[in-house]
Amino acid sequence: MSEQSLGEFEELVLLMVAAYHQQAYGVLILEKLEEKLGRKVNISAIHVALKRMEKKGFVDSNYGGITGERGGRRKKFYVITALGKRMLDQQYSIRTSIYQEIPNISFNS
Amino acid sequence: MIPEPPRRALSFLRWFCREDCIEEIEGDLVELFEMMWLDNPARAKRQFIWRVLLSFHPEFLRSPAKLRNSNLKSMIQHNILMSYRSFKRYKSSFLINLFGLSTGLACVLLIWLWVSDELSIDKFHANDAQLYEVMEHVTQANGMITRYTTPGPMSVALVEEFPEIEKAVTTTSLWEQRFVLTVNNNDITATGMYADPDFFTMFSYDILQGSAAEVLKDKQAIVLSERLAMSLFGTTENLIGKAVQWEHERDFLISGIMKQPPTHSSLNFDFVMSFELFRAENEWVRNWFNTAATTYVQIKEGTDVAALNEKLFDLVRVKTENQADHRSPFVTKFSDLYLYNRYENGVQAGGRIDYVTLFSVIAIFILLIACINFMNLSTAQASRRLKEVGVKKAMGANRSTLIFQYLSESICIVLISMVVSLLIVILFLPKFNQITGKELQLVFDIQLFLSVVAIMLFTGIVAGSYPAFYLSAFNPVKVLKGKLSNLKGEQWARKGLVVFQFALSITLIVAVWVVYQQIDYAQTKNLGYDQENVIRVRKNGDLERAERAETFIQEVKKLPGVLEASALSHNLTGHNGGTYGVEWPGKDPNDRTEFERVAADYGAIELLNIKMKEGRPFDRSFGADSSKIIFNEAAIEFMGIEDPIGKKVVLWGNEREIIGVMEDFHFDSFREEVKPLFIALNPEWAFNILVRVEEGRTKEAIAGLDQLHAELNAGYQLDFHFMDESFDILYASEQRVSLLSRYFAGLAVIISCLGLFGLAAFTAERRIKEIGIRKILGSSEWSIIYLLGKDFTSMVLIAILIALPPSYLLSREWLNSFEYRIELEWWLFAGSAAVALLIAWITVSLQTMKVSRVNPVICIKDE
Repeated sequence: MSEQSLGEFEELVLLMVAAYHQQAYGVLILEKLEEKLGRKVNISAIHVALKRMEKKGFVDSNYGGITGERGGRRKKFYVITALGKRMLDQQYSIRTSIYQEIPNISFNS
Repeated sequence: MIPEPPRRALSFLRWFCREDCIEEIEGDLVELFEMMWLDNPARAKRQFIWRVLLSFHPEFLRSPAKLRNSNLKSMIQHNILMSYRSFKRYKSSFLINLFGLSTGLACVLLIWLWVSDELSIDKFHANDAQLYEVMEHVTQANGMITRYTTPGPMSVALVEEFPEIEKAVTTTSLWEQRFVLTVNNNDITATGMYADPDFFTMFSYDILQGSAAEVLKDKQAIVLSERLAMSLFGTTENLIGKAVQWEHERDFLISGIMKQPPTHSSLNFDFVMSFELFRAENEWVRNWFNTAATTYVQIKEGTDVAALNEKLFDLVRVKTENQADHRSPFVTKFSDLYLYNRYENGVQAGGRIDYVTLFSVIAIFILLIACINFMNLSTAQASRRLKEVGVKKAMGANRSTLIFQYLSESICIVLISMVVSLLIVILFLPKFNQITGKELQLVFDIQLFLSVVAIMLFTGIVAGSYPAFYLSAFNPVKVLKGKLSNLKGEQWARKGLVVFQFALSITLIVAVWVVYQQIDYAQTKNLGYDQENVIRVRKNGDLERAERAETFIQEVKKLPGVLEASALSHNLTGHNGGTYGVEWPGKDPNDRTEFERVAADYGAIELLNIKMKEGRPFDRSFGADSSKIIFNEAAIEFMGIEDPIGKKVVLWGNEREIIGVMEDFHFDSFREEVKPLFIALNPEWAFNILVRVEEGRTKEAIAGLDQLHAELNAGYQLDFHFMDESFDILYASEQRVSLLSRYFAGLAVIISCLGLFGLAAFTAERRIKEIGIRKILGSSEWSIIYLLGKDFTSMVLIAILIALPPSYLLSREWLNSFEYRIELEWWLFAGSAAVALLIAWITVSLQTMKVSRVNPVICIKDE
């Protein structure tokens, strides 16, 4: 089942990849994640997560063109695959269904 | 300016990162770096380095370069698997190899421990390279002798007159004297010596309290070892300046505390006093004529020792105005003296180093024998593995792969043997220590590890190379067709190795036998006096006063269990002291040959059962015997006096009449010829009280002695030895060597036999069909045993022929160092040969008997 599991941080990265379709690459994901989460994120953690998800088949990648920036290195863009999307949907529905089961709790005290 | 990320971090990233990840990771890191650079270049650099380090993640690591494109790993796995299978399949030869190699390695390890311990003796001094001992060559009419003893003024003269010599000290380290020290009525007997002030700055005996340069400056000073201080005071703290009573005579003040001299020190002492005091109180040590002290020097760095020795050659002659012209001092390296302690005729002639060499050779022999077992068994098995080699080669394995395979197999078995041998060593180390009288320990440090790995690789390669090269050379086509290549050559090589192995074993048997015989001879030979049941009590304290000693001896005679008591100056186990002050008519005035001098009380000669050849021993009834003298035969012969009884000689200026001639007796080691000796009547100088006790009543006698001693010599301990025990100590090192070499030779023989056993089993198995057919055709069991045994017999016979000449030469060489030795009889060699042959036969026949009884139907039914 390990092939099909999705870690918490991996899920966040996958969400970013899906949100910035065809534009997502390491640095962009880092910036957006830091923006959303409001805390520092480690670039190599993102690299590891991307690498693992690529192995599991949740994301696909292709290289962009060479520019003067980045020491001449190409950007590696990621796109979410159908499997990845299904995984996200599944995660989302599990969470919402559990969420809806929460009774009305009053926190007045 | 284009911002550049830190170069080292970048190249580190490129070095470890996988090809398919580098582009993405490097790109992202550089982009982040470039962005940060605009704000804060220093921080950008720091962050970049940090991120590179974080990227050092297993996910991105390159796999080790070597393994990526080679099958080395799988090959090693395969080799280990093959080794394992072959061990499992041929259990008996595996066990023979394992047993042989592990005992061989265990012997090597034990001997290595012993040898490295011997080699490290006295090497711990920081000034080791500059520490030298002054010795003297002494010319005598019957050759040159070499002595450790030097005159007292030597050290001062050396420092003053020779610029090469930095420091010099005179000590009494040679004597190992024991004294009584007292604190608060607590008497402790300990070994003490006198030494000049520079002693502790030259030698690295650590001073824990006090300053090394100052502790011996004062005449009243005494330096105690920690251990001694503990037993005297119960503490080592705040002792400086406290008083210790010495020999119940005088007080010394503690000036320092030192560490106990380590076991690697050849000098042994518990406390040190100033030599200045000894010099002030003993007139004889202030002139150049008497020698008794030992002198050590520290020479300046870069001194030419040979040139220094040339300058020293005449020192004593100059100082004594040519009166002592027979003595030539020289210096020799202090730390070498422990191993190179024998001089013959003024030339260095080995010493303990001989035993170090002997055991190193034995260790190599045993290891070689074990390696040969391995070679023989694996080449013998080769025929079983021919198909394996053939198939491998046909599939494209090249020769080096096969060599590698067999070498790794041999290293594999050596590795297992090494583990077993380490266990054996741990198990037997206490016993080994007991035999060698050492405190060896197996300390798992880097040195041991390196040595173990070195020994292992050496053994693995020696044992594995022949089979590896031999097996890998087969022609695959012939092998697969079933044709054995060069069988003749293989058999010759195997036989040659067995012959070599047995030659080594036989040499060891002979050597061990000779050593044993010689030691036995030394211990049972008639010494010329009777040492059994004689107790020697060293006079100390009040007993040094003549009347008190006389009373003591008279009282001892009355004790139960005591037969006789007297006194003698000599301990009869070595050179005690000599003089050339004997003059006789016709003596060459330049002759400086020393006579061993002995002082005795009435009755000493009779007590020791020394036989008189002529004349009589000292006797009270004659009176005035103190002006008489008794010589041994060797002395009379040396002086050339005819009909000696009643003739006069002059001793130290006084005329003395010869009243008796004793038969020669051994007062020194058997390595030495019996030298001229005289006994004069002088009870005051006879430091040893001799007590002959009745057989079987020793305990009673000692109890009585102890009580009497406490009464007449209060405050001193009874310092006694059994004379036969002291005599055994004289041969302690030989005895250890004898015992150890017996063990090792036994092991060598057992290991060779194991090899022979394996080989016999193999041959029998190979010829099982032939034997079956022979039996069907009517051959008897005995003729089969003969058939199989004759090959082995001829091998052992050849080994005997090869081994006897070198073992004869070796034994003769060793025996030559003894003046009194056994004769090398023919039966000793014949016996060793017979033993070897017998053992070989028993080993082989264990196998052949089994094979000769085999039912022929079983062994020829399948083809």
